[in-house]
Formats: sequence, C-alpha cells, structure tokens
Amino acid sequence: MRAVIVDDEMLAREELKDLLTEFDDIELVGEFSNGVECLKGLPKCRADVLFLDIEMPMITGLELASMIDTASAPDIVFVTAYDQFAIEAFEKNAVDYILKPIQPERLQQSIERLRARSPHQAPAFESMVKDKCLTLIPCHHGQATKLVRLDAFEYAFSDVGGVHLWDGAGQVHTHLTLKVLEERTPFIRCHRQYLVHPQAIREICQEPDGNAVAHTLSGQQVPVSRRYFKVLRDLFGIS
Amino acid sequence: MSPVMILLVSMAQQMSMFLVIAYLLSKTPLFLPLSNISARLPNGLVIYLIFSAFCILASLFGHTVNDAIANTRAVGAVLGGLLGGPLIGTAVGLTGGLHRYTLGGFTDLACAVSTTLEGLLGGLVHLWVRKRGQFDTQLFSPKRALVVTFFAELLQMSLILLIARPFEQSLELVRQIALPMLLINSIGAGMFMMMIQDRRKLYNKFSSAGSDQALRLAERLVGVLPSQLDHASAAQVAKIIQQETQVAAVGITNETEVLAFVGLGDDHHRVGETILSAQTLQSIRENRVVFADGIATPYQCSHSQRCPLGSALVVPIRHADNTVIGTVKLYEGKRRLFQSINRSLGEGIGRIITEQLTLSQHHEQKQLLSQAELKVARAQVNPHFLFNALNTINAVIKRTPETARSLVSDLSLFLRINLKRNQSVSTLAQELEHANAYLHIEQVRFADRLTIEQEISEDLQQLVLPTFTLQPIVENAIKHGTSQLLDGGVVRIYSRIEQGLPELVVEDNAGLYAPDPEGESTGLGMNIVDIRLKHHVGRESGLKVECEPGDYTRVIIPLTGES
Repeated sequence: MRAVIVDDEMLAREELKDLLTEFDDIELVGEFSNGVECLKGLPKCRADVLFLDIEMPMITGLELASMIDTASAPDIVFVTAYDQFAIEAFEKNAVDYILKPIQPERLQQSIERLRARSPHQAPAFESMVKDKCLTLIPCHHGQATKLVRLDAFEYAFSDVGGVHLWDGAGQVHTHLTLKVLEERTPFIRCHRQYLVHPQAIREICQEPDGNAVAHTLSGQQVPVSRRYFKVLRDLFGIS
Repeated sequence: MSPVMILLVSMAQQMSMFLVIAYLLSKTPLFLPLSNISARLPNGLVIYLIFSAFCILASLFGHTVNDAIANTRAVGAVLGGLLGGPLIGTAVGLTGGLHRYTLGGFTDLACAVSTTLEGLLGGLVHLWVRKRGQFDTQLFSPKRALVVTFFAELLQMSLILLIARPFEQSLELVRQIALPMLLINSIGAGMFMMMIQDRRKLYNKFSSAGSDQALRLAERLVGVLPSQLDHASAAQVAKIIQQETQVAAVGITNETEVLAFVGLGDDHHRVGETILSAQTLQSIRENRVVFADGIATPYQCSHSQRCPLGSALVVPIRHADNTVIGTVKLYEGKRRLFQSINRSLGEGIGRIITEQLTLSQHHEQKQLLSQAELKVARAQVNPHFLFNALNTINAVIKRTPETARSLVSDLSLFLRINLKRNQSVSTLAQELEHANAYLHIEQVRFADRLTIEQEISEDLQQLVLPTFTLQPIVENAIKHGTSQLLDGGVVRIYSRIEQGLPELVVEDNAGLYAPDPEGESTGLGMNIVDIRLKHHVGRESGLKVECEPGDYTRVIIPLTGES
C-alpha cells in the first residue's frame, strides 16, 4: 500500500513514519506539512492511503478531505490529538480515526482494516463529499496562497497549465480539479473544460451550430457546448 | 419734644429691654420649643408661659398715657398665636388681657378684648399658613410677624375707639398712642421672630448630622458595617449611633425583622421580632425618612401601650443602587421635653450608613472579584496544549531523550505555576518564567516553523502586572497567529517605552487578528486578561491590539503597575 502522511508537525510525521516501518506492505510515497502542499503534490503520489492530521494551518484535514479528487481516491485515516473531531470524521466516513499519541496496536488494527478493503471498492470517504460542501477555495496567485470564497468566482476552466478560476477581474490558479469543483460546489458543467457559477450568468446566446455562449456578469464569455446547453436549459426552465 | 415722640422713645426703650431678655432666653433650652411648630404639650405650654409672661410684663412696664397704658403687649399675643396656633394664641391673649383688665383705667375692657383677639388673629394666621402646607419657612417669617402685628394693632385701636368711653377721650388717646404702638409693636414682633428664626436655623444645622457629630459617627462606623447587616454588626452600629446622638433608644431592622435594639424600652422591643411598626413598614415601602414626632404625627409603640417611647425617626438603609435593605430607628421618650431628633438628622444618618455599607460592599466585591478572576484565568489552561505537549514528548522520547527530559521539566514548571500561583499580581519576571515554560514546549513542537525572539529591558523585570497576563497572550500569538502560517512563524516579545510609559509587546508575523471572533477563538481568555489589566491599572489601561493583515499582530500590555 502506498501511504502519504500529512501533518504540520515534523515530530509527529517522524513518529508516524517510524511506526509505519514496522509494516512490510506499507510504502511511504509522500509527506506533506500542510493541505496546500498536499493538494499540489498528491496526484503524483498515486497514494492508496492518506494519514491525515486534522489541525493544520489554512486548510484543516477535514477540509482537505473534501478537496481531494476522487480520481486519485486514496482511503483516509485521520490522525489527531483531539477527540472532538471524532463524530465529524466518522460522519465523513473516513476509514479510520486514530488518536495521538498513536498506540502501535491501534495502528495495526487500522492497517488490517485497510488491507481487508477490496481494491475495487469506492474510496470510503466518497459518500461524504456528495454534498456541495466546499466554500473556500485554495488559490495561488504568484507565490502567495490564499483561501478565497467560492462566491467570488464566476467560472472555472482547465488548460495545459491546470485549473483556473475567474474572479471578475482576473484569474487565479488552483490545485483543485474541475471534477472536485463540479461535485462539491454549486458550479455547473457547461463545457468539457468549463464550469460556471449559475448565479454569475447574465445571458446565454445560442449559436447556429447548436453550441452556445454564456455571458457572465463581468462581461466574460463562457463557451457552452451543445451537450451541456440542454442541461442549462432545463436548469433555468427555458423551453 | 412732642408727646408722641416721647412716647415713641419710651416704647422703643421698653421693646429694647424685652428683646435683650428674649435674646438671653434664646441661649437657653427654654427657647427650643419656640422653634418647633406644635400645638401640643409640652411645646404649647412653654409657648403659652413665655408669651403670657411677655404680655404681663409689657402691661406692667407700659407707659401711662391719659389713664391708659401704651404698651408692647401685642407682640406677645400675636407671636403666641403665630407659633402656638389659635388655642394657645387665644390663651395667651386672654391671660394678657385679663391681667390688663385688673390694672383698670378707662380702656381696660377694650384692651382685654383686643389682646385676646390679637392672640386669636395670630393663631388664625398660623392655621392658614399650615393649611397651605408651607409652615416651615413661612411661619417663622419675620416679615409676616411684622405685618400681622401691624394689623393686630390697627384692630386694637379700632376696638378702643369702639368700646372705651367717653369717645372724645379715646379719640385723644388713639391720636397719641396709635403711631408709636403700631410702629414699635410691628418692628418688635418682626425682630423677635427673627431671633427665633436664627435660633431655629442654628439648631437645625447643629443637629443635621452635617457637623462634628456626624463626622464622629461616620468615623466610628468605619469597618463596623459589613456589606450585609447581621445581628452582631447591627447591635454594634445601634450602640454607636445611640452614644453619638444621645437619643433615648436606637433600633435597627432589616426588611422584615428587628436586628438590634438598644436603650429605653429594650425590655419589650426584642431582637428577632417581625417588624410591626407602621412607620417602619412605610419607610421601607416608600424608601424615605418617616418621622413620627409624637406631636403633629403621633407615635405609639406597636408592642406595648406603656412603652416610654414617644417619638420615632425611621431612616431607610439603602444599598448603593438605592434599594432599601433595612432601617435605623431613633427614638425619644414620651416624657422628654425637648426633642433632639428631627428629619434632617435622620437623613444625615441614613446617608452615612449607606455610604459605609457601599464602601464595605465595594471592598468585599473587589476581593471576591480578584479571587474569581484568578480562578478563571487559571482555568484557561488549554487542554489541547497539554495533549500536544504530551505528544511532542512522546515523539522525541526515543530519538532525543535529553529533549524529552527538558520538555517534561518545562511542562511541570508550567503546570506548577498555573496551579500554585495564587497572588493576584506577579512581577514581569515571574510572568516571563511562565510564558517561557510554555514557549519552550511549543518551540520543540513546531520546530523550524516557529522562531521566538525576546528583548526585554532588565529595568522592567520587577514591574507588577496581574498574574496570568502574559502567557495567554503569547499562546494566542501562536494558536491564532503563527500556527496558521504554512511556514516561517515568528513571535517577538519585547519591551519599549511609549510616551514615557513602559509597555510589553507580543508580536506575531501572521496578522490574522480578527476583532470579532466567532466561537472559541480569541474570545474569553483575552477578555479576562483585558478586564484584569483594567482593574489593575485603571480603566484606560487595557490591552491594545494593532494588526496589519497578513503582516503582523501586536498585542500591547501597559506596564504601569508599581514596582
């Protein structure tokens, strides 16, 4: 199993790393000191399991769980010093929940539970993120990382450089995938490469070829493909 | 000199003599009843005796004119009536009149009748003024006495003309004596009244607890009055009040029962009994001084018909918020001739007691508050911090046992200070010791993500501030500051002098201070620190926060506490 550790305390990561070396079938493929780093680096790790601390700067472990694309889809084990998160974590269907300081026996149990899961089974936490739960989006603008309210954006699109969001005046970069945004925010798909915030649409004009263009409040034009035009039409009750 | 002038001078001399006698009398307690308004004994009796004597002497020393007597009798009759009411006035007038009648002369009957009527006139004016409810100032008005006497004398002149015969002789007499008598009697009455008024003012001032007596009383009550009245303290207070005011008895009640009673009548005024007296209940209900002087307002002891107490002054004891929590009662005996209690004395005592009560309450609350504050401040130890510390120790124990050992000793120092320090203030050095124990642990936990810088002047180490001020602020700087940064957190603690005043600054480089935090964030802990600082150094001296979002947050602690 390919494992990734996310914890803002170096000592805590070391401790867990030490404990994990006891298990032959666990291979540590990544370690991150915060959620932002994790979002950026996780896709390359192709992790099977994520050991996730909860109290971390900017993005908590719980928030991070709902930002991870189900395509990279690791199982999640929350590791925390505070049991106040237990209920929330289980509601989110994390595979497991371990309290710090970690007891080796408890870690063993947890890993056995992971081994028992069939590889074809959907990630355990998938059901927890069906709702539109994301409200803050981690964005990058130059070197700075910020959390920005979702409502600030009109549409999102992907290109070779990654996923970008338009905030009415300019664009920022995010490590979230379009899929995550589509599933966990009110953004709706209007094109293979575009999502649009329904409340940012001023008008939609259909072209002769069946495709359409959505005009946003700030005057941007967002392509709407024929396939998704139907969805939009139904959504807005246009006959 | 004309006969009228001679008469005028003679009468002026006469009046002067009377006024000198009156002045001397005003120095004796005999004069006191004159300044207390009352139609009843013994005040009435004294008024009657004094003014009747005045009338008789006035007749005896009068200036004989044409078989009649030019005199100043009217002053006695009118003043007797003004001060004593119609009954006393008539009695004075009648006595003076009858005496005059025995002296004979052709005006004897006219004078007797007119003097009686003058007394009655004074009495009627007394009644009229009291009906209008303004007797206190108005009855003792010299101007009014002057005017009333003037009309009384006009009445007398008319009666002489009407009654005395032969008419020619009376007309001749009136022509001679009218002017001097009108003038001298009116002025004399006015001056006499002025003397009484002065005496009365002096007396009220003297006994209004605004004087030495009050000061002594206040001084002796300091420290005796606790914030809540109980039997023991009430007994002590009652005793002091009785000794200082020299009244017959003093009682103290709370809202429902008698807490203490000393002096006359203590055989049946028992401690612990429910309040029965209508005056006391009224005083509590209406929150004001109630005075049953035994004269205008009757007083009857509610326990015994034979109670020797004849008047009561009931003073409400008030909390600082002006609610009544009990009463002080001052009593005088029935047989006492002159009262030494009055309403203003009561109000003075009420104020003194309320002030003393408020003072001790304030003192007590202050003590309680600082204890409670300390408790709350201590209870602020964050359990998360403890867990994190234990986890950190757990993580380093295998790899670097030395670090683990020093962490354990820091944690135990931190906890010891938290549990044991029970002074409400500490020196800056002690506060730094506490904060540093905390910082060492956090430093190991956050490792390279946290840098701590300290630069504090040695001179300030002995300044005092409320215990548990610094550590919560430092904890906040980490918890809501640097720990939210992805990396490169810096906490700086330094002292500086700002406008001549030393202050301590705790600065983080996160700049995440939210002035209106929701939930548990900066909330309670900081509030307590702020409130305690303000208590310690004064209203204006709480925490100051400067924040440049994304750049820094500075929490500034004033160090104005004395060394």
